[in-house]
Amino acid sequence: MRHYEVVFMVHPDQSEQVPGMIERYSNTIQKDGGSVHRLEDWGRRQLAYPINKIHKAHYVLMNVEASNEAMEELTTTFRFNDAVLRNLVIRRDDAVTDESFIMKAEKESRERKTRYEERQSADAERASTPSSDDSADTDDDESGE
Amino acid sequence: MARFFRRRKFCRFTAEGTKEIDYKDLETLKAYVSETGKIVPSRITGTKARYQRQLSTAVKRARFLALLPYSDSHK
Repeated sequence: MRHYEVVFMVHPDQSEQVPGMIERYSNTIQKDGGSVHRLEDWGRRQLAYPINKIHKAHYVLMNVEASNEAMEELTTTFRFNDAVLRNLVIRRDDAVTDESFIMKAEKESRERKTRYEERQSADAERASTPSSDDSADTDDDESGE
Repeated sequence: MARFFRRRKFCRFTAEGTKEIDYKDLETLKAYVSETGKIVPSRITGTKARYQRQLSTAVKRARFLALLPYSDSHK
């Protein structure tokens, strides 16, 4: 049993199949007594350069502990699955379970986006309901008109 | 004589005691890649050899997964 880190990229049109694929791959690993330590779905990401004239791909990261046979099976299924654009398998010394940098960055950007949207909606609300507490804002509006 | 006092280069990874450079840590990797997508040599960045080797494999892995570009003239 060894530790591996697997990343595979799925064609964006086949994104719906991803949960099924994850399930199947986890099963192939687990039936040999292996285990999945970390599973991250990065979702559809913009590619740094087009691959097969595609600009986006659905990324999945798995940190697994698996036997050689299970990994062999996994890579052959990757090879014969047309939906998998690319896959990377690297060996790790131990199980990695903490959140990856990409997931962290993704969450942060999402948070920032929601915060921005909240502020946006709050601003809109303030603009629609004339109130006396934001005198500076309303003054600006009046001078503009 | 005009002598420029350049700021001393230092290896960020040694200073931080980095265990391993991760190919998923794009923020860090981007700092060691030029605008054209090339890996910046250690003689410029001052990265220690041990970390420069890790850095190069990390950048190459990230490139393979299209997380980083190979060059600026893709398409």
